[in-house]
Amino acid sequence: MAARSHSQSRVVSWIRKHRWEIGLISPLFFYVLTLTLAPILDSVRLSLTGPLDGRFPSLVNYRTILGSDVFRVAVVNTVIVALLSISLQLGIGLAVALTLHARFRFRGVVRTLMLVPLGVPTIVAGAVMLLLFARSGYLNAILLPLTDAVSSVLGPAWRFQPLSWTVAGGWRTLATVAIADMWKVLPMVTLIFLAGLQTIPDEVNEAADVDGATRWQRFTRVTFPLLIPYLSIAVILRAIDAFRIFELALVLAGRVEPVLGTYIWNRYGPPTNDPFTAAAASMVLFGVLLLFIVVYLRFVARAREAGA
Amino acid sequence: MSHPVEAYAAPRDRLDWPLRVLFPLWIVVSTLIVLVPLYLLFMVSVAPGVAIFGERPALVVTQPTLRFWGRVIERGDLWLPLRKSLSVASLTTLGAILIASPGAYVIARLPARLRYPLVIGLLVTRMFPEFAIGVSAATRFARLGLVDNYLGLILAHLIGSLPFIAWILVGTFEDIPWDLEEAAAIDGSSRLGTLLRVVFPAAAPGIAVAALFVWLYSWNEFLYARLLTTSQNTLPLQVFQAIDRGTKQQMAAVASVLVLPILCVVYFLQRYLRPGALAGAVKG
Repeated sequence: MAARSHSQSRVVSWIRKHRWEIGLISPLFFYVLTLTLAPILDSVRLSLTGPLDGRFPSLVNYRTILGSDVFRVAVVNTVIVALLSISLQLGIGLAVALTLHARFRFRGVVRTLMLVPLGVPTIVAGAVMLLLFARSGYLNAILLPLTDAVSSVLGPAWRFQPLSWTVAGGWRTLATVAIADMWKVLPMVTLIFLAGLQTIPDEVNEAADVDGATRWQRFTRVTFPLLIPYLSIAVILRAIDAFRIFELALVLAGRVEPVLGTYIWNRYGPPTNDPFTAAAASMVLFGVLLLFIVVYLRFVARAREAGA
Repeated sequence: MSHPVEAYAAPRDRLDWPLRVLFPLWIVVSTLIVLVPLYLLFMVSVAPGVAIFGERPALVVTQPTLRFWGRVIERGDLWLPLRKSLSVASLTTLGAILIASPGAYVIARLPARLRYPLVIGLLVTRMFPEFAIGVSAATRFARLGLVDNYLGLILAHLIGSLPFIAWILVGTFEDIPWDLEEAAAIDGSSRLGTLLRVVFPAAAPGIAVAALFVWLYSWNEFLYARLLTTSQNTLPLQVFQAIDRGTKQQMAAVASVLVLPILCVVYFLQRYLRPGALAGAVKG
């Protein structure tokens, strides 16, 4: 009997504990349920509803967008911009983090200067890049004297023709979007890598030195493998934003090069006013992003297994 | 262990020489990459018209003018959007902390088999295009008369920030030892008292970082603001409008107003933004 009443009181206290915790979590739970999950399901339903006959489920919206050239270009552009901007961010972010982690004079000043643009609003990054990449922009202003020097040696065929990078189309326009995104999040990515570098104890590096490792060996065999968890955090968080890129693409690439974010916007807004295909394109974007993350995790998980 | 540390000085290395030359160069170049765009923004906002056209716009303004700032201020393009952005960002931060921290505390205290799916679920909601959530939410808000007022925008910004900061705060609360609460309970503290006087103060640094991120998110947010606004713009919308149909200087001036508070905030809070606090807390 004593054991039973003991277990009973445990059940009661367990429930009581849960009642308290349910009370604490319910505002968050109901907010996410009604204003995040419900709208998502709404979009899923919309994407599967025939725009003319209201039939559900129907794949007609997906068929419409998959048959559209603009949509296919948007998918390819999205993947190009995302992969380009993720590799730029991670490469430069890692290099900057390694730099700031090293000991040198003025490190405090340099660190402050490099981290201050943390949290620059996206629309400001867009405005800044418009100044940089316009026809009478500052990239051309920097490139012109350089190419003048080259062309004075190699002949006028090498003279650089100033161009508006954002409306030139093709890789130039996509690169401006990727560079804008890179510039905007560089301090943040640097911070993630710095956090990772600070978890590596000095003893590990000293041990590598004792074993006669060169700098390069120390980086590839010690530092980098230990940074992989932070790399993964950075890749996943950045991928989530890079594939969904919208404002920068809207401002810089406009109607020249569509990405999925702006494609969805244009389908929904005037003159198309078609929420059905917009919702279907949203689901495709979600699918592309999910696919990327799954492939990345598989790939990295395998690489780590092989390394262990 | 018996050798003096000096004996371990880094071995001679083929990279030594190039690094000695390239390292300072790289520091200068990378700092410039980060700062030059901001410099250009402020410079253009005070540039007279002739200075920014032609094939080779000057990189330095010799005759700065405040004409464009004056024009932006006179036309009222600044104060009302600034007030709206400030109020919405601050109230969103308050609301997000009040809603998310108790929830995150509970999630952090759940057993791992429940905690991980919940945390990953929060992350997955972020993977949907904001649009997929925004359009449907905006339709609901319109039905409730929440278009064009502060409350609607605050509620919308909570949609975008709650999953994210709940996710950061779960990490913060996980790091607070249970012993602390147990000790408080033994001392006769009520559960609410423990939460308010022991747990939340211990989590204050993490909550502060989360609050900063919410504030930045709301200050920065464009899509919900666009969907829910027909008359009074927020600052990001004002920048977009200037990009769309303003002069370069107007665009630069309004964008400067949007970015200056952030530079100040980050500069003064930098000591508290230690990398460790951000490890799980990062958004682009």
